[in-house]
Amino acid sequence: MNKIIVQGLKYKYPLSDMLALDDISFQVNEGEFIGIIGKNSSGKSTLCQALVGLVPHFYKGAYGGKVLVAGLEVKNHSLADISLKVGMVFQNPFTQVTGSKMTVYEEIAFGLENIGVPRKEMIDRIDDVLTLLKIEHVKDHNPFDLSGGQMQRMAIASIIAMKPDILVLDEPTSQLDPAGSEEVFNAIQSLSKQGITVILAEHKMEKVAQYCDRVLLLNDGRVVDVATPEIIFSRDDLETYGVLAPVYTRVCRALGVKKDGSDCYPVTLEAAERVLRKGVPLV
Amino acid sequence: MIKVSNLSFSYKKGGAPVLAGINLEFDQRSTAIIGQNGAGKTTFVKLLKGLLKPDNGDILIHNVNVKMKTTAAEMAGTIGLVFQNPNDQIFKRTVLEEVMFGPLNINMGKIIAERQAIQALKMVELDDKLEMNPHDLSLSEKKLLCIASVVAMDTDIIILDEPTIAQDIHGKEKIREIIQALKDKHKLVMTIIHDMDFVAENFERTIVFNEGKVLLDGDTRYVFSQKDILREAKVEAPGITQLAEKLGFKQTILTVEEFIQMK
Amino acid sequence: MLLIAAKVIRKTIPVFSFVFLVLITVVIIQGLFKPENETALFQIGPVVMYKEGLLYALMITLRVTNIVSSFMILVLTTKPSDLVETLVRKGMSPRIGYVIVSVFQIIPEMISSMGTIMDAQRARGMETEGNLFVRTKAFLPLLGPVILGSLINTKERAMALEVRGFNSSAPKTYLNEEKTYNHSRVIQSVMLLLVVCAVTWRIFV
Repeated sequence: MNKIIVQGLKYKYPLSDMLALDDISFQVNEGEFIGIIGKNSSGKSTLCQALVGLVPHFYKGAYGGKVLVAGLEVKNHSLADISLKVGMVFQNPFTQVTGSKMTVYEEIAFGLENIGVPRKEMIDRIDDVLTLLKIEHVKDHNPFDLSGGQMQRMAIASIIAMKPDILVLDEPTSQLDPAGSEEVFNAIQSLSKQGITVILAEHKMEKVAQYCDRVLLLNDGRVVDVATPEIIFSRDDLETYGVLAPVYTRVCRALGVKKDGSDCYPVTLEAAERVLRKGVPLV
Repeated sequence: MIKVSNLSFSYKKGGAPVLAGINLEFDQRSTAIIGQNGAGKTTFVKLLKGLLKPDNGDILIHNVNVKMKTTAAEMAGTIGLVFQNPNDQIFKRTVLEEVMFGPLNINMGKIIAERQAIQALKMVELDDKLEMNPHDLSLSEKKLLCIASVVAMDTDIIILDEPTIAQDIHGKEKIREIIQALKDKHKLVMTIIHDMDFVAENFERTIVFNEGKVLLDGDTRYVFSQKDILREAKVEAPGITQLAEKLGFKQTILTVEEFIQMK
Repeated sequence: MLLIAAKVIRKTIPVFSFVFLVLITVVIIQGLFKPENETALFQIGPVVMYKEGLLYALMITLRVTNIVSSFMILVLTTKPSDLVETLVRKGMSPRIGYVIVSVFQIIPEMISSMGTIMDAQRARGMETEGNLFVRTKAFLPLLGPVILGSLINTKERAMALEVRGFNSSAPKTYLNEEKTYNHSRVIQSVMLLLVVCAVTWRIFV
């Protein structure tokens, strides 16, 4: 079943004369994990925001085409309606803290209070997401006292508690240290395994290669390709779009070692190790 | 160039120390400082810069004790620091004015300041945008602008805090060139960074901070060969280094080129 | 008395010591110089204390103590978030409630970003330490980045609130249970009655 359908989406920010998104079309199945990659200002963030309705409802601007998320047409529904189906996590962990709650526990409740979840269910849901994102030990802390990684997991928890079908993340780890990013990626992966559809815009190609089922390559607001990480990262023209393949792919490409029975280079550490062990005699 | 002895610091008097017993010497080798958030990296460079005052210990820069200088502003001619978030730094109306601000502060003449500024802007390829308002630049351009505004001050020591965040390959390539150009001018380039591939490819020396102490210090190749200690500091070696190690290479590999040569 | 009952008397000591310092000067000035002063109460050397001024000062002291005490009780025993939450339940707009509560939390965040911005300029040789003139000169240009930074944050925070259903039309629910005590109705009614009486008394008597 298609969870997300985007058809001929065009969008221009107010005050700008360039199309930020130009004729974007793709579909995402339920439970898929999709990576969005591309150089800076290629339209990654804008596309993410189009999936939750911030484009066009928050920014206004010129909008054409159709975006369907979990059966809702974004253009015709309010942000509040869409927020029940699609949740979004942003880059900066600080600006996602509401600032009106004193504890992590209350912070997670914020969205649930807004959409009118009964108190008993609210408590159940919060307890669940605290465990799921491994932040139950900080539930009584002030949100601003958390580390970056904890704060970002709290942001994800706040969204997940609202039980969306789709989770959109816009470079959620760009401001975190390696340990913090790892915590967040593990959390996202476990959500994906539970069947949530995940859309992730990301710069770290090694992570995209490791976690995503399919990758959408954007350039100047247009879709270049949507395919498996192996196919995308094996493209000869990748660097012309301002994207560097994972280091494992680059090494195998330089050595001319492809994956068995395919026309693609390996994209992860494990896969590269496997083919290199077989292919070339060790030093 | 810099000698740090027995340095310790805490934000609250009598509170938990953020740094304790740091002894380090810096020469001209380009140096990466790595470690988890909260390990004390930023506090350390703020102390070098004189933005914070140590509880204990001494910092000598060019044999002058930082304590003797009264304000951070007096340190500005010797040591430059580029902050992580460009929005904290930018406050002039044009790109050129922004870059000239530092040089003018350290009493360079107006003509020299302008020449320095334009030279620095050339390095980051923003010299065609001199009259633009800095806030109209993209985030990655803003970061490059902030680097230029410190480079223009022509200090002997330059510290960059997380320069590669928000940069795509093009931006990273430019930062790589800047670091190389500064190295060629015999400046000490130091950076706080989480991007290990960038460390392996660009820095001669690496220092690992962990819980306010120096856990590991040495040539970058040596540091990335110490798997167990890195794990303790929750730092991962670069991907290529890990791959080479899994394949049983005897030497520690830092770049794709080295890997291919070894094959 | 209530302050003691609420176990917050200790926190009020610094406030009261400041208030009393001011009040003592009031007592002295009024006692010595109030124009209606006629009846001399006592004399210390050449200084004469008058009865009228002293009584007037006493009244001011009582009023101020009263106002300060009741304000302290409100501030020290009620979390702002609880107060606002109660008001929202009683029908205040959740948006206004959000603004009030968030200000308490966002201000410390702004102060810390102010510190970073200050450091960034000191790092480029701006003199920020020294006499008042130097500091004021350094301070003004910093307001630009501070304001801009908080505007950028505001935009991002607004988006983050939107995706968490801030403008949802669904009836709001609350994590915290409304605390109702058996006596609260009675107390509320008595209080209301007292206020009405006091006001009537002021107007008619």
